[in-house]
Amino acid sequence: MQWQLCVNILALTALYALVCCGYVLIYRVSRVLNMAHGELMLLGAYGLFATTSQVTNNPLLAITVAALLSILIGVVTYHILMRKLTGSDVLAAVLTTIAIGILIRGLVVLIWTAQPQHPGEMLGLNNPTLPVFGVARISLYTAILIGLTALVYISLFIFLRYGSWGIRLRAAGQNPLLASQRGINLHAVFAFAWAISTFTASMAGMIVAIDTALDSTMVMIGLKAFPAALVGGLDSLLGALIGSFTIALIEVLLIQHVDPLLSDVVPFLVLIVMLFIRPWGLFGTREKLDRV
Amino acid sequence: MRYSMLLAVSLLSASTAAYAETVIGVSGALTGPAASSYAPAVEGLRLYVEQMNKAGGDSREKVKLLIQDDQGEASKAATNAKRLLQEGAKIIVSASLSSTYAPIIAEAKRSDIPVLFAGSVCPKEVFPPAEKLLFCTTAFTAEYDSRAAVDFIKEIKGTNTKVGLGAMAIPVSRGGIDFAEEYAKKLGMNVVEKQIIPPNASDYMPFATKIKSTEPNVVYSWAPWINQIRTFEALRKLDWQSEFITWGHLEAENEMRRVRDRNLFIIGANTLFYEDLPIHKEIVSAATAAGSAFNPNQMAEGWIAGMTVEEVLRVVGRDASSEKILSTMQNLKVDVKGLRGGPIEFTPDNHFRKTQYYRIFRWDVSQSKIVTVKNWFKYDITATAR
Amino acid sequence: MFKRISLRFRGPSLFLFVAALIFPYVASQFQIDVATQVLLSSLGAIGLMLLTGYAGQISLGHAGLIAAGAFSVAILTKEFSSPPWLCLIGATFTGAMLGLLFGLPSLRLRGLYLAVSTLAMHFIVVYLGGEYETKRGFSTGILVDPPSFAGSVIQSAKQWYYVLLGIAIGVFILARNLARGPTGRAWRIVRTNETVAEALGVRVDRSKLLAFVISSAITSFAGGLFAYYRGFVSIEAFSIYLSIQYVAMVIVGGMGSLLGAVLGAAFVTVFPYLIEALVMKMSFLGDQAGTLFAINYSAFGILMIMFLIFEPKGILGVLNRFSKKVTSP
Repeated sequence: MQWQLCVNILALTALYALVCCGYVLIYRVSRVLNMAHGELMLLGAYGLFATTSQVTNNPLLAITVAALLSILIGVVTYHILMRKLTGSDVLAAVLTTIAIGILIRGLVVLIWTAQPQHPGEMLGLNNPTLPVFGVARISLYTAILIGLTALVYISLFIFLRYGSWGIRLRAAGQNPLLASQRGINLHAVFAFAWAISTFTASMAGMIVAIDTALDSTMVMIGLKAFPAALVGGLDSLLGALIGSFTIALIEVLLIQHVDPLLSDVVPFLVLIVMLFIRPWGLFGTREKLDRV
Repeated sequence: MRYSMLLAVSLLSASTAAYAETVIGVSGALTGPAASSYAPAVEGLRLYVEQMNKAGGDSREKVKLLIQDDQGEASKAATNAKRLLQEGAKIIVSASLSSTYAPIIAEAKRSDIPVLFAGSVCPKEVFPPAEKLLFCTTAFTAEYDSRAAVDFIKEIKGTNTKVGLGAMAIPVSRGGIDFAEEYAKKLGMNVVEKQIIPPNASDYMPFATKIKSTEPNVVYSWAPWINQIRTFEALRKLDWQSEFITWGHLEAENEMRRVRDRNLFIIGANTLFYEDLPIHKEIVSAATAAGSAFNPNQMAEGWIAGMTVEEVLRVVGRDASSEKILSTMQNLKVDVKGLRGGPIEFTPDNHFRKTQYYRIFRWDVSQSKIVTVKNWFKYDITATAR
Repeated sequence: MFKRISLRFRGPSLFLFVAALIFPYVASQFQIDVATQVLLSSLGAIGLMLLTGYAGQISLGHAGLIAAGAFSVAILTKEFSSPPWLCLIGATFTGAMLGLLFGLPSLRLRGLYLAVSTLAMHFIVVYLGGEYETKRGFSTGILVDPPSFAGSVIQSAKQWYYVLLGIAIGVFILARNLARGPTGRAWRIVRTNETVAEALGVRVDRSKLLAFVISSAITSFAGGLFAYYRGFVSIEAFSIYLSIQYVAMVIVGGMGSLLGAVLGAAFVTVFPYLIEALVMKMSFLGDQAGTLFAINYSAFGILMIMFLIFEPKGILGVLNRFSKKVTSP
């Protein structure tokens, strides 16, 4: 039983972490909280559904096309909607992301109806249960999710530290004015952050859709990832990992040993407590605290 | 804002046309999160009424069906009820979440107009002693469903068995499963786990893990379909292969075909379309002819509501006033032509039906089709399931 | 007070006031109901405008605050049989307390932590409300009797309309005085630039906290009224989308304007009916009742985006541009 709990915690951690890195990237470069992240996850999953039903039945091809589509959506979203707001009120930018979220929710139902879908089965993908250490079980695609999250994080760590665009991203996040004066194209950097963010969200959405099903409850994952992002620190990738782990641990243990209903609300209680005692999270940049 | 008022006024005046017809109002969760469970029922009703109007020709009064979307929200339902009553609705049909009931009932009471719950869970007021204005043709009613399911568990597993229960954290599901627990214990079963899962859960593995860890021999779940099927699939992913019994919502038939699991038992009060009865053929052809977006095998509830409405109007005859309609409904018998195990029967005391019939289905792997595991068994409806 | 309204608007204001007064006598039940909903929403919109439009903070907690107000009324009525005036005070107080509790940790910080904090508040309130309903046996919701003020029971559509009209005007005046006074000015400076505000001697965090507490109190008060108006309280009525609708009211109305809040409330409340009317006219597209909500959401999202990008001053900004074009030579 303990092994199964470990597997569950690992799976939930991976899911939250993959979703959180999108929040972190955008927040880090532009201090904008992308409230439409959950909806972008949903859109990505529907992208896979659309590709599968309209273009090709080949899984690898479908996923690749859907992933590219999501990157395109990220860049386009930034260019058309967010770019005009760069530099001005972060408030307006966040409000715009809320509006984008609403728009996506409406469009998704308009185009594809509210019926749950099963893209995994449409692609003929098998999702067998694999044994772990003999007693525990994990489905193939949950395992893939864990692997993908690990891959994404390792890549991001290396990229941000050594990649030329990664350095630009960090620079833009630390001091946008200075960065642009040094010749860094802020708009390109922001668009890039959005692209990566949408890409990771879509991948998460696609895998969840293949692993279980594609329906509107996916958007809640975006909201429930907030405590994870905040506990870790909104601008720290390492924080996102640790935060996700913490929240996943709490949720799974609550369900197993206390009361499943609490698993919905306790993460948010943890969020509030964090705000009281250490608002910038475990690994975030220390913010200036006004004395009340 | 003034423009919208003008628009609304012009809309209203345009709709009160001048030919003899009975207005029936519908407030349903056509869109919004719960829609997939209710929208097909409303569509079924709409198609039935269309067909009925066409068939009647000029020899009888037509039905004008006014359909409003309430998205499962109480405020919208309240506004819908007001609007429908304003437009002369003689019956209000509700196919939505139970949170929309109170405002609809309040409005209907004010105007003394009956409310027919079709596709949405039957409120306890339709059971004996029934409230004058409230009627229900919906198939499910959590407590009797639970009793039937637990009785079935006793048949296949005996009473010396460990039972796991699953519900969603919404009142009707919790109520049904609480009753299942009580009844199972009364029969001497060992209820090892009762998992109440939050409505917005995305990952069902931890909940299923908890259920599995108590090692039940059989699991029964009564909740919205998505909760039921996710619990089931998570249990299977954990390699728990025993019997899983769950309620046959609209989606059940298609999902049984998708999942193809021999130990997934569906308990329901409606016949399934694989039986291809004449009535099923009728529904399928109506849906296909109309080019409906919904799968015909999800329209049974709406069809039954339509049959009920038609029977009411047939008995009332010409000049259907709301008083006549209400008094007719107090004593009504509707032959549903095989969609259920028995007729819809209203008496002054019982606005649900005299007898509730259940059937149990499963997927037969060797024949690759759905089969009936237990044919119609029934319960006489008294005040409660106890 | 009439003198406070600038000359340009006196005529229209008087006209609007009179129109508002006679409205129930010329309108249908349904229209009165919609208008009453608009008045009720205005209260919450005014509350949010003070917070977002003046003090520049985002709150996603409006649904939670309205729920808290409604549940306060329900609980006080069912458990303690309190009279309406006491229940409403209780609702307002609950709102203020929630504002303090969830504002305190987040408003010490620069940035948008309040958004996250209010999100947490939403889920916590929803959980508590649900547990109360289940544990106390109100599984399908809590019925609340219509209130009686000054002897008579307020029940009919007309009565509610006038009561809420009076309350809305009252809250509007209070909010306007607040906004025009030193508190409001401090808020505006804080919104523009917190560093500059601090340099000017404004206690930034206290100012923001005050905004949130006042805003929350007004919103929960509106929630209490909502409980009486509907006669019914159930937790499912309060979703995140409700919070977003209030944010939309503030955006559409125009930031930093209380009149904008009211216009925004009117627009957002009536908008779905407009869309419905439009879609019905285009009924050649087939049975659209099922996709109405999706069309609503999409249109809503596009509307908000357009206002945010092109006209941050909202409807008022659009009207202003029009009137300038009309009145200038």
